[in-house]
Amino acid sequence: MSDIIACLENVSYQYPRSIEPVLSEINLSIQKGEFFGLIGPTGAGKTTFCCALNGIVPQFYGGRFFGKIEIAGLDTLEHPISVLAKHVGQVFEDPETQLIATSVENEIAFALENLKVPREEIIRRIPRVLEMVRLEGTEKKHPAELSGGQKQRLAIAAALAAQPDLLILDEPTSQLDPVGADEVFSTVSELNKELGMTILMCSHASEEMAEYATRIGLLSNGSLLSVGTPEEIYADIPLLINNNLRVPQVASTFYSIKQKNIPVSIPVRLEEGKKVLTELITKKTQLTTPDLKDELVHKEGQPLIQIKDLEHTYPDGTKALHGVSLDIHTGEYLLVIGQNGAGKSTLVKHFLNLLKPTSGTVVINGIDSKKLTVSALAANIGYIAQNPDNQIFNMTVWDEVSFALKNLKFSKQEIETRTEESLKSMGLYEYKDRHPLSLPKGDRARVVIAAILAMEPDTIIFDEPTTGQDFRGAHYILDISRKLHEMGKTVVVITHHLYLMPDYAERVIVMGKGTILLDAPIRQAYFDTEKLNSTYLTPPQAVLLSIKLSELTGEAYCLLTPAELASVFTTNGGAA
Amino acid sequence: MSATPRGEEREVKNIGGASIDGAPVAYIVVLAAVVTALAFIPFSVVMASGGSFPMNQGIFGLIGWVLGPIAGAVSSGIGALIGVFVAPHTAGVWFVTVIGAIVTSFAAGVMGTKNEKRKSWWIGVVVVTVIAFAIYVGRALLVNGIRLQWAILATFVNWSSLLLFILPTRNLVAKWIGSKNLVLVAVGLALGTWISFGIAHTVQNAFTYTMFNWPEEIWVMLSSVIPIEFISRCAIGAVIGTGVIVGLRAIGLVKPTEAIY
Amino acid sequence: MSMKFQTVERDSIFTRLDFRPKIYMMLVLTVVALIWESPVVQLALAFLILIACFFSGVKMKFIRTILLIMIPFYLLLLITHGFFNISQVQSLTGKTELTNLFSIPENWWLIGGLSFSLEGFWYGINTIFKTLTIVLVVPLVIFTTDLDNIIVGMVRARVPYKLAFIFSATLRFFPLLFSEIGNIIQAQRLRGLAMEKMNIIQRVSVYAKVAVPLILGAMVQSQQLEIVLQSKAFSGDPDRTYLHESILSRLDYAVLIFFTVFLIAAFVSWAVWGFGAFAGPTDHFLF
Repeated sequence: MSDIIACLENVSYQYPRSIEPVLSEINLSIQKGEFFGLIGPTGAGKTTFCCALNGIVPQFYGGRFFGKIEIAGLDTLEHPISVLAKHVGQVFEDPETQLIATSVENEIAFALENLKVPREEIIRRIPRVLEMVRLEGTEKKHPAELSGGQKQRLAIAAALAAQPDLLILDEPTSQLDPVGADEVFSTVSELNKELGMTILMCSHASEEMAEYATRIGLLSNGSLLSVGTPEEIYADIPLLINNNLRVPQVASTFYSIKQKNIPVSIPVRLEEGKKVLTELITKKTQLTTPDLKDELVHKEGQPLIQIKDLEHTYPDGTKALHGVSLDIHTGEYLLVIGQNGAGKSTLVKHFLNLLKPTSGTVVINGIDSKKLTVSALAANIGYIAQNPDNQIFNMTVWDEVSFALKNLKFSKQEIETRTEESLKSMGLYEYKDRHPLSLPKGDRARVVIAAILAMEPDTIIFDEPTTGQDFRGAHYILDISRKLHEMGKTVVVITHHLYLMPDYAERVIVMGKGTILLDAPIRQAYFDTEKLNSTYLTPPQAVLLSIKLSELTGEAYCLLTPAELASVFTTNGGAA
Repeated sequence: MSATPRGEEREVKNIGGASIDGAPVAYIVVLAAVVTALAFIPFSVVMASGGSFPMNQGIFGLIGWVLGPIAGAVSSGIGALIGVFVAPHTAGVWFVTVIGAIVTSFAAGVMGTKNEKRKSWWIGVVVVTVIAFAIYVGRALLVNGIRLQWAILATFVNWSSLLLFILPTRNLVAKWIGSKNLVLVAVGLALGTWISFGIAHTVQNAFTYTMFNWPEEIWVMLSSVIPIEFISRCAIGAVIGTGVIVGLRAIGLVKPTEAIY
Repeated sequence: MSMKFQTVERDSIFTRLDFRPKIYMMLVLTVVALIWESPVVQLALAFLILIACFFSGVKMKFIRTILLIMIPFYLLLLITHGFFNISQVQSLTGKTELTNLFSIPENWWLIGGLSFSLEGFWYGINTIFKTLTIVLVVPLVIFTTDLDNIIVGMVRARVPYKLAFIFSATLRFFPLLFSEIGNIIQAQRLRGLAMEKMNIIQRVSVYAKVAVPLILGAMVQSQQLEIVLQSKAFSGDPDRTYLHESILSRLDYAVLIFFTVFLIAAFVSWAVWGFGAFAGPTDHFLF
């Protein structure tokens, strides 16, 4: 029998001033050496669960607590947080707020100093944990000099330095680009496999969780609905869908194939998926030519946005764009992808004159953008920036949405009608008198979108709209983008979440190191793995499986989604 | 809870984190960082203290009302001190800037305190202010030969705020800031900014006047400039304060024990 | 504008000194600059500090910025003291008649007939260099000190650990908040706020309104910060270990002793012989 690191018995918890329990009747034991993945939609109680394991819940928050949690044999209610901190290391979502020191070594030393670890021992541990997360030689750096992935790895190193029995990571990759997310996942997996570190991780990244976790728990409305191996949980598609959780594309694909009465297991990891696919093909399963929708062509008349030889150098000397040329036509749905620092945001900020070209031209509707002001451009090109919270500055939802209309000097009547319309279309009308900051994060993002749409712009740019959103939140926003597109508006989306986009985008711009690497229809772009890899992007699993399918059959299958992939397999009449 | 949980209900000891005078250290840190960040945004030139008037002066009082006198003074003081280090072009004489921040937040926090043990703290503020006023105006009248009428006119903000602080207006300001009526909140903030900043201004001038010894002609000019500057400060204090207080009430963050909003 | 706390790159006696003797030096020099009113010694003191700044590698650009900002204020000091500071310099110098440097012709509007006195001029010079000393001693001390040494030095100097921690954490977080200011203003412009067409007062009110979301956003983040601190066993208790040591060397003690002696000497010589007083022995050749 292996040792139990964490043991929860009948745990229920209720925050002060709230009536509903946020955790209810949780029973769970986490064994030494496990990689336990905790999944669940936003608001399920994952963060509360994590904070309960080091005593912050309920010792800091107060409230009512039922049952018992033991960490390394210590009752979390009977030992102060500072004692529990020796046994539980925690890594949080936001790379910025969790680094509190002004240098890498101080960051690692901070918890150790608080735990009264002797100085000589601290000095010994710093290089050791930096090596574990592959950040050797950065001791004297300021956190601001690190990339997002490096910041999270530093947070992991700082948590490891206290030599905890359990390492908790709460959405550690949701703010990162794919490179950063990959760095974090492989670091954590290495710690787990090679050093036997016990891990508890919450994440919306289903594919990675299926890949690395040894056990998965599904939390919904504060209850632990199901616990099992990744194979058990991620292959139970109805369970995931009912809880608004994203299904790994491999599982989704084979589930759909199975629905057609084709006998097949449901793998949850890509490599197994490829194996199952190979078996299917060698078994001579019948295939049909997929029925793919035609690609729309918009390139008519004068482009709406015309970029020519655009270069941009920031005041600190960083050259962010090197001669970018691009035409965007009315009615297009454009996806801009690429690693952090590839120049995506720098490029779109030129559409609005938020940045001025160092050289080259930006022509909007036939007019050189130099002649236009930000505020004038903003009325036609709505730009929804990344963090909703610094786009909220009014005291009520109503004022927030009508803010732009007042600036643009619309009549009182017009302001009323447009504000009301915009609020209703976003499902926010009932909150019109609430303070925007009193709403949950997903709703705050919608307030910002409503505020931009109230101006009725012809072009809407979404900059990383799905970052930090769960599956449902992400699709809610993307569905809005599709509706706008169907109304004839031009839509530009910047995102790292490639797997979300096939049902929405038409044209893809792949950026890398300040240049456009590829400008192609989505079906072509997603299959140019070489270009994608060169800017550290990986195509969605469905695409990788399609490539495998093409290899196996010798025919070209350009399929983007699990549904498209499954549609290739013809229904089995019943005979096995 | 809808159904009684199976687990045994436990006694929750609310240990809480590190705090200063009931305000969590994290609040003090972020507000100090706001003060430092706003030090970069110049607003207008305050001649008497030698330097410009950065935007952060608009929130020293607010910090006192949100964090209480001690934590507020710590937050504003450290924020202003770092502001001096990193944005010296907006600061002027460093210790005068820091003293101004500390005194404003402290005086603001003392107004209308609900803490029984602190009901007499205001007397301490009055004593310090009276001494500072005596140094400042005494030097003007006795050493530098400023005529009485100009001394009175140019120190209007100083003696008026001292009087308003001694009178029950002190408690009225606190009551208004805590009110549900937003107009009263704004008026309370404006008046409170006048009082708390006027007190800080008096203490600051005890130092700066000793350094600069402005002749009477400057007093004549200051007698009209200073009130205008004060009015704009009050307006900024009211605009920022109302927005922040309404927001804080809406978010429902854990309130520091000495907060009056 | 550099958002990072700057440190000098050059190694000098100032970078080798501990933070405590340097802070002590800063306080002593500030007090002495406040006591003295003699333009000659003020000038000498400010000049010494300026040289020390150059010598220790404080960036020229930084000093230039300070000077540029202060120049209008210095001109004002010079003009007002030269023209108007009559009764104070009369009493300080004991003269009833001041030395006239030049006068403005009688027929000039409003300011006609004013005369600029030599004594007032020197008094203005005194105030200018007094402020300069007090302002320049800050970068000299702060920029030559490693951040770690500031924090540990503060703790060793019996500054409560919580205050030292707040100081250090504020340094970490203010650049993030400063960039938020830019983001918030950008968001307002994206909603049609035409900053280009605004006058100064309107712009100021925009900046004032920026403070609201800035503070609220910061307060929301602070809750997260509080949890982070707790998970790292932070309790504000000064009984903890420290990675960085701060041991006073012989040089540090020498500096502490030197400035103590300097303070006493400056005070006694000022009180007894009027050394450093306006129009005192050090100013003898000026008047």
